[in-house]
Amino acid sequence: MSTTLERPALGTPRKVAPAKDRGTLLRSQVRTGWTLLTPALLHSGIFIVIPVIAVLVLSLTDYSFGDTWSWVGFGNYSTLFRDVDFLASLWHTVLYAIVVIPISMAISLAVAIGLNQKIKGIGFFRTAFYIPTVTATVAIATIWLWIYNPGSGLANGFLSLFGVAPNRWLADPATALPSLMVVGIWQGLGTKIIIYLAALQGVSRDLLESADLDGASRWQKFANVTWPALGPVQFFVLITSIVGTFQVFDLVYVMTRGGPGSETRVLVLDIYQNAFQDLKLGYASAETVIMMIVIALFIGVGRLLQRADTND
Amino acid sequence: MTSATLPAVGAGQSSSKPSAIRPGRILLYVVLIIGALLMITPFLWMVLTAFKSDLEIMKFSWLPSELRWRNFTEAMQTAPFLRYFRNSLFIAVGETAFTLAVCTTAGYALAKMPLRGGKMLLNYFILLLLVPFQIILVPLFMIVKSIPLFGGNNILGHGGIGWLNSWWGLIIPLGAAPLFTFLARQFYVSLPDELAQAARVDGLGEFGIFWRIMTPLIKPALITICVFQIEAAWNGFLWPLMITTSDTMRPLQLGLAIFSQNPAEIQWPYLMAGTALATLPMIVLFVFAQKRFVEGMANVGIKG
Repeated sequence: MSTTLERPALGTPRKVAPAKDRGTLLRSQVRTGWTLLTPALLHSGIFIVIPVIAVLVLSLTDYSFGDTWSWVGFGNYSTLFRDVDFLASLWHTVLYAIVVIPISMAISLAVAIGLNQKIKGIGFFRTAFYIPTVTATVAIATIWLWIYNPGSGLANGFLSLFGVAPNRWLADPATALPSLMVVGIWQGLGTKIIIYLAALQGVSRDLLESADLDGASRWQKFANVTWPALGPVQFFVLITSIVGTFQVFDLVYVMTRGGPGSETRVLVLDIYQNAFQDLKLGYASAETVIMMIVIALFIGVGRLLQRADTND
Repeated sequence: MTSATLPAVGAGQSSSKPSAIRPGRILLYVVLIIGALLMITPFLWMVLTAFKSDLEIMKFSWLPSELRWRNFTEAMQTAPFLRYFRNSLFIAVGETAFTLAVCTTAGYALAKMPLRGGKMLLNYFILLLLVPFQIILVPLFMIVKSIPLFGGNNILGHGGIGWLNSWWGLIIPLGAAPLFTFLARQFYVSLPDELAQAARVDGLGEFGIFWRIMTPLIKPALITICVFQIEAAWNGFLWPLMITTSDTMRPLQLGLAIFSQNPAEIQWPYLMAGTALATLPMIVLFVFAQKRFVEGMANVGIKG
């Protein structure tokens, strides 16, 4: 690497007096800068930017790995809105997001506030809440598959202690999606707690203390000092949660494959099956574009909520 | 909090509390401990199941009647777990090395080099942070399939399978995420320019300054990137599922998923033993790197 960098450019004297000639220095910095940046630019261009553009283009075609394909305009889109599998997936994904995001944000914030009270054994609690997050979703899904086992799983075993009748959990259309939501909430707490905790520690001490002096109650302090200070972090957590919940796949793939029936079919699963089992790449791309639009809508609503909150 | 007696002018001892045990405090601990138990119990249940016999798991019970260590060795034999394990390790190491190389160089250039449009380039990488991998699933697959001159492809990328079913395909496309470029940049930015200036006076080239002076100073960032990337690579599932067809390259998570495909025939003790083995390395890594990992996570969150 370094040999190419030290090669003198055209017209520059071979030995540059160090740090004397600003023009030469600038030129060599610019050259080094671009050399260092090029791999990342190339990589992101090839593996992120081109695919994003390609998905928009593909969605207007009937491409399916073959040699021939043709433009179909918005045909894929109009087919999608009559496709019961797609509509079910969209509905379940939106439902999953609407339930999982607020609940997990609320629990995470509550736990973070608890952990922020100069708790003993913070390391233990932090590890406990974070372990599900560093564990592979496939492993999580496998464990919960066993917990939800109708015959001898932990869920029924535990609930029977309280006299609750055994449930079929993932096999029962009524409880399948909620059962997945529980796992989604459970696994996602760790990241949010850590972020909230860091943010809480950044809340101005002075403000809290002057609130104390004014005789503010705990609740007043939370509502008037802590909550507004958390604004930007709330938004970050919200965005990452939206993007994360819309991506749910591993969990569903291992635990239910979208079943029973299509009660737990979600968008990425449907896209995956359309693209890589039915080889309808154009169709799956159109589905992806719709997913992007829905995510953008969710983020837009999130921004509105945040703005309404901070304008008070 | 009614007892805020001292206004505490000094920053340090602002909240020296009376150590009386209050009921609220006890309630807090009880709630937190219950919460922590809810987090840990599934893992405990996994480990306990891994020691049970096929007969024992027919009925619900907490503890195994004896510790059947042989479940672990037998599980390793029923599926090529060892090979999956080695594959995952290889992918994690390869992807981390690739990410470190690409993201530190780019992060440094963005932070310290006087590039025209530098601000725009930074925004470009921040914008890319928002693109989830699932969105580009289909075209990414097609691009990887048509990498020229690989897997029987001609120079135009036709005719073969490109990087499908290859280590290249498993490692390169998902490595070097913009997140890590951004993270590295945040750390380089905070280093003082005088350091580079002094090295320049000593006659060190620009690349030497990057590699020998600046990069050793952002060790915390490098560790954060390593831990994040290892976790991500180890836990990856959808991408390997899409691009591997042969068992020889499959990573651990794929092996687990295949193992649990048919609920009626799953041998739970074996599956739990395999899952425990798959989970353990990342938990150990996390416990060791805990503080750093958490700081990195928090920084990304707050600065993002």
